Amino acid sequence: MLKMTHLAKVYRTEVVETYALRDFNIDVKEGEFVAVTGPSGSGKTTFLTIAGLLETFTGGHYHLDGVEVSQLDDNARSRIRNEKIGFIFQAFNLIPDLNVFDNVEVPLRYRGMKAAERKQRIMDALERVGLASRAKHYPAELSGGQQQRVAIARALAGSPRLLLADEPTGNLDTQMARGVMELLEEIHREGATIVMVTHDPELAARAQRNVHVIDGQVVDLAEEPRFHAHAQAAHS
Amino acid sequence: MQIRPILSALRRHKAGTILIALQIALTLAIVCNALFIVHERVERVSRTTGMNESDVVAIQNRYVGTPASYVPLVKTDIQALRAMPGVEDAYATNAFPLRQGGWSTGVQLKPDGQKDGVQTALYFGDEHALKTLGVQLIAGRNFNAGEITPFNRDDRPAPPQVIVTKKLADKLFPNGDALGKTVYYSKGRPSTIVGIVAKLTVPWTEVDFPEMVTIMPLTFNSSYQIFLVRAKPGQQDAVFRSVAKTLYDVNRMRVLPEKYGVRTFEMVRSRAYEKDRGMAILMSVVCAVLLAITAAGIVGLSSFWVGQRRKQIGVRRALGARRSDILSYFMTENFLIALAGVVVGVVLAIGMSQWMFTHFEMQRLSFTYILVGVVALLALGQAAVFAPALKASKVSPVEATRSV
Repeated sequence: MLKMTHLAKVYRTEVVETYALRDFNIDVKEGEFVAVTGPSGSGKTTFLTIAGLLETFTGGHYHLDGVEVSQLDDNARSRIRNEKIGFIFQAFNLIPDLNVFDNVEVPLRYRGMKAAERKQRIMDALERVGLASRAKHYPAELSGGQQQRVAIARALAGSPRLLLADEPTGNLDTQMARGVMELLEEIHREGATIVMVTHDPELAARAQRNVHVIDGQVVDLAEEPRFHAHAQAAHS
Repeated sequence: MQIRPILSALRRHKAGTILIALQIALTLAIVCNALFIVHERVERVSRTTGMNESDVVAIQNRYVGTPASYVPLVKTDIQALRAMPGVEDAYATNAFPLRQGGWSTGVQLKPDGQKDGVQTALYFGDEHALKTLGVQLIAGRNFNAGEITPFNRDDRPAPPQVIVTKKLADKLFPNGDALGKTVYYSKGRPSTIVGIVAKLTVPWTEVDFPEMVTIMPLTFNSSYQIFLVRAKPGQQDAVFRSVAKTLYDVNRMRVLPEKYGVRTFEMVRSRAYEKDRGMAILMSVVCAVLLAITAAGIVGLSSFWVGQRRKQIGVRRALGARRSDILSYFMTENFLIALAGVVVGVVLAIGMSQWMFTHFEMQRLSFTYILVGVVALLALGQAAVFAPALKASKVSPVEATRSV
């Protein structure tokens, strides 16, 4: 589903080159629930932005659903984001000027879907996250947990092949975080492929597989248990 | 199209939206009416007088002293003018087209002196008047020398023969048989229409009888005299420069005012339409300034909104919006605001026109101007929003992951 080999992302200024990712390798199979962990600045968010085609990369290969994405133009990348990827952001990223219904509708409109189908999908997705009754509410009228549920509904409405979640519970209290996590697990059980970036080891433990990133590279935790313990301690 | 979500987003930004829409509405209302005034003025400035205006020099003369009659002085002056090198013809009169001052009276078909006649301007002249003016006689005849009589200030102007313009002839005799008919400029004193000229306008530029003119075979017995001189082709400048000296050589007891004493007809025309030209320029400047301010307002607000919504744009891009979708979002948003503005603006424009019609006797605004204004304002809005919209379309989708 998601395969990166020897991927590199370099930020260049006139005087310095900074490797955000270096020889980065990952292979996420269809239906997997993978947690990408690592300390702040390790490159896990850079990985997510590249995985979600929000940014380009400097070297290596990235195959998404069998397609090598490095040669795609901006429109093609937009189309793949729209059709194959569902995003769940830490800050929810709902559009404050639009109500819940219209927020969930945003990606469907960019797909050029007919109004009747859009409506059906939106209501299904809102039912799925338990917020159908809040369709006319604006984000500011909802709790953080409810806003993240709307964001999940927005990600689900387009039936994406891959869900990318960036610290999905980072802005939530424990109870709301638990609710959102349970929802993600449920979605995964129904067959979705989920890649979740988090620095919360408890959350990561609930995923099927953990990928640890340090200094822009994937680290095999089994081979470096001491380092793992150290990384966890730093973020506990 | 994304009209419904755009509208619902705009409802959350009422203040900015309403201000810009109102600005567009006011601009449309003012620009439509201002351009209409410009058009009216330009139309008025380009009106012809019926004269052959090139090579004509107009002289305003005032005799000093109190002779028994001014008529002999006038005759001497006219002879001297006709004898000048480069002069084709000349005559003395009381007024001429575009002079902005002259006489008018009512002309009637009945001798009873009732005030129900047709309004006409009166030009005095002799058998040289038509040639000097360069007007076209289309029926009847010119005056002859024997028909020219003196006219004293206290008299009523009612010579036995008159020449009228076609417009006046047709108004008095709609059947087209005015020639030879009797009309009355004064109670019980008949005048016969002996000639009809194609066109000649009145001295004033803002009257509702612009082509109702009567030429009378009279010499004004007054210290105030106007001499019109037709120079031979190409000789106008020479005549213009030497005509004052010629007259002073004949008789020094006169005043030729420094400013308007001797003028070419171009100068007469330019002076007559000075206000109209000034108004047209002023209105054009007002339009240009208003349009510029409105465009600047749109650029300003759009740029502010783009800046404010960078994160939102990033989110939309992350959710699959192409650059063109973002561009079209902002263009559509502006179009909807401008559309609301022009709808209100059309109502305001019509209201303003109606108000000016009632209070200043101006013409009602033509629909074409409203239509042109609407299209212009919508186009201006789209042009003004294009740069900020283009900037918005270049916001990277990665902006969605950045914390504010």
